[in-house]
Amino acid sequence: MTTTRRNLLKFVGGGAAGALLTPAPWRLITDTALWSENWPGIPRPARGEIRARFTHCTLCPAGCAVRARCVNGQPVSLTGVKPHPISHGALCPWGIAGHHLPYHPARVRQGPVKEALAAVARAMDQRSAGERVAVLDLRPGRTVSWTYRRAMAAIENGLYLAPRQPAYSIDLAAAETVVSFGAPLFDGWGTPGNVFAARGNFRLVQIEPVESRTAALADMWLPIRPGTETAMAAALGGETTIAEAARLTGVGEEAIGAVKEAAENGPAVVLAADPSSPLMSLNAKLRALGRTVVARREAPLPEAWKKAAPVTEMAAAPDGAIRVLLIDESLPGGYVPWQEIEPKLAANAVVVVFTSTTEGYARHARYVLPSPVYPEAAEDIGPAIDTVGEVFRIAAPLLAPVVPVVNPGEFVARIAGLPQSDPLRERADAIHQAGRGALLGYADGKSTPAKEVTADNFWKTLNQGGCWMDDTGKKAAPGKLEFIAAGEPPHDELPLMVVAAGGRRGGLAPPLMSKLERESNLRMAANRVALSPADARSNGIENGGRCLLETACGRLSVVATIDAGVPAGVVEVAAGPRIADLCGASPRARVVRA
Amino acid sequence: MTAQNQNRRAKRYGMSIDIDKCNGCGACMMACAVENNIPPLPEAANDRRGVTWIRVYKVDNHRPYPERRIAFVPVLCQQCGHDTPCVHVCPQQAVEVDPATGIVGQMPERCLGCRYCMVACPYHARYFNWWDPKWPAGMEKTLNPDVAPRMRGVVEKCNFCHGRWHAAQQKAAAAGKSEIDPADYVPACVEACPTGALRFGDLNDSSSQVAQDAERPESFRLLEKLGTEPKIHYRSQRGWVREIANAPRPEGKDEARG
Repeated sequence: MTTTRRNLLKFVGGGAAGALLTPAPWRLITDTALWSENWPGIPRPARGEIRARFTHCTLCPAGCAVRARCVNGQPVSLTGVKPHPISHGALCPWGIAGHHLPYHPARVRQGPVKEALAAVARAMDQRSAGERVAVLDLRPGRTVSWTYRRAMAAIENGLYLAPRQPAYSIDLAAAETVVSFGAPLFDGWGTPGNVFAARGNFRLVQIEPVESRTAALADMWLPIRPGTETAMAAALGGETTIAEAARLTGVGEEAIGAVKEAAENGPAVVLAADPSSPLMSLNAKLRALGRTVVARREAPLPEAWKKAAPVTEMAAAPDGAIRVLLIDESLPGGYVPWQEIEPKLAANAVVVVFTSTTEGYARHARYVLPSPVYPEAAEDIGPAIDTVGEVFRIAAPLLAPVVPVVNPGEFVARIAGLPQSDPLRERADAIHQAGRGALLGYADGKSTPAKEVTADNFWKTLNQGGCWMDDTGKKAAPGKLEFIAAGEPPHDELPLMVVAAGGRRGGLAPPLMSKLERESNLRMAANRVALSPADARSNGIENGGRCLLETACGRLSVVATIDAGVPAGVVEVAAGPRIADLCGASPRARVVRA
Repeated sequence: MTAQNQNRRAKRYGMSIDIDKCNGCGACMMACAVENNIPPLPEAANDRRGVTWIRVYKVDNHRPYPERRIAFVPVLCQQCGHDTPCVHVCPQQAVEVDPATGIVGQMPERCLGCRYCMVACPYHARYFNWWDPKWPAGMEKTLNPDVAPRMRGVVEKCNFCHGRWHAAQQKAAAAGKSEIDPADYVPACVEACPTGALRFGDLNDSSSQVAQDAERPESFRLLEKLGTEPKIHYRSQRGWVREIANAPRPEGKDEARG
């Protein structure tokens, strides 16, 4: 056979056509894209030894137990710890992505530490007789809070300032009826796992103008007229008639009567959005004190710490007297609006803030010092509002700080001249010496009586994410709570009541929160407000349009969302430091087109 | 075929979602993003261009205030079990139904980015990568080593945390077992749900909780009339919630948040 050009072409053509009938070319087409997995610029996840470590979340006072999956020591995912008797394995969205916080692009990464120390020392030397040095602790009840109090006791005219803390705890498990005045029970109140674990035992009546996440899952939602909560409370407490309350609140008499009857009959508890609200005193009338509302208990302290400065509220501080103010904003907590702080400052006051975010007091302070963020710092977490017994747990650090940070406790102890020590270890030793309660280790899930553990093992277990608890003591009633029946008068210039959407908290939010805010509109972003169609129409505001939120204190540029679920007369906002500063004590506003 | 293999092929993983328990907290969305290495997207991303393999929608009964009521509906790939629309339209064989598990898998390395599957999906549960995946500096250290990040220009979607299924398989194999322990294979969203609204399991196993949930009278599936046999079973005692499952785009959607 001779090889001709024609035969060669026929062979090649036939071969090519025949190859199409085999899987080979299709396989090639699909698999040529495999290289795309290694596309330049796409990070490759690190591989290595995988281990589980345990800690506690410090992003809110719930202090949920956390199991971290670590690769080469680096946490790559966080989940709850199921055997934990309080948090029951639950974590909120913030907690799930908490290990991203150290890398937040908006984190405060540097600060003038030496200059701040020198300025504080100078101001302390130069202050006049009546001038004060103060610490504002946004998350009181921690061990470092006692360091601040001891430091302020050691400094002449020292002042320990903190937002008002409730002197009570709520025993949800003992309640059959929960009457909530806007408390975000299912959206950030207390310890989420504890709330959901108790959910099957109580009937929830949610009283608030907007159908929040909690109202949506409540057994009964009473859409009350904004600002008439006290009238409703007065009727439930028997101070006014149901008919009068129905007239003022816009809620039917039958519904109010049913709630009153349920609250009077069973073990009930009344909750308010603000735990220090006078509405809480309704619990006394419902005989809840000592049953569902009990005295708050704190873990044992070293004897030497009891010589500490008392807790002072900002309002009780003398005007124009604070020469040095040190603000611990390292953990999100109760934000005190700046307009409450400003009048208390002396003319040449030095304000230092320890923070990781530029959103809060960093906007007002002279020195902004970077603080550690979760999960970089060893901290303990005070008891949450729904923790009935005594509890002590440490947020064991999962990684070293990724930027140079200042430990606020050490800074304050240094300027007060306190001897160097490890307060967490001292506290743990004091608890161990008390010989009460049990120590729960998450790694093995075992609960051991504290008296059967050596002091060193007690400390070691706590640092491995363990938790000490003692809920054996007798439940006691908290102190007397005041009830203020006066409602807020209507305000003609500011016709809208500002209502905070639940869930959002201060401090840095993990970058992935964009999934819930911008990428899905599931949660309200910080720069958005929601209005009823009627209010939007009357002000010429369009959905998604930019507008100004104006209050008695100032104005803020925001984006409007028109939501038929928001009642007329209400503007729903995302809670946060900027809104707190804007509203101050009066939650009234108007929204105008920008 | 061995009896063992027959058993494996009998798996039909599915999920049950109790809408009356969902409080719309978004923990499932966050856990999913962390588990599957989904990056936070640039400022330009919105609800149309964002990537959220599971997305919680806020729906309402279209009544004026105060009769208006809301509910939260987590929507993920419905893992269609019959005539899976995305499988049919993919020109690249980048979407396949795993006969061993019933899971509809997406292979981004085969994907051309034509987005036919997104058009075909009746549930809008597929997402296109409009941008290169980028994490803030340092945050790439927190990536899950079991899941490869996807490149710009490909489609992705929920695969019931397939990496976890592989891990459970390996664990079972190491222990000399042919079947995985159901407790070892739970998707991240189910694990994270603080209210217990999400459950996961084998729909072919009549003793599993998820199979029993699917048989409840208040159980329903999204757009059931299309006949795609989704493996996500929702349930709600509220009639209006069940009704919207088969409704077209609700009136007033443009006015509603989300």
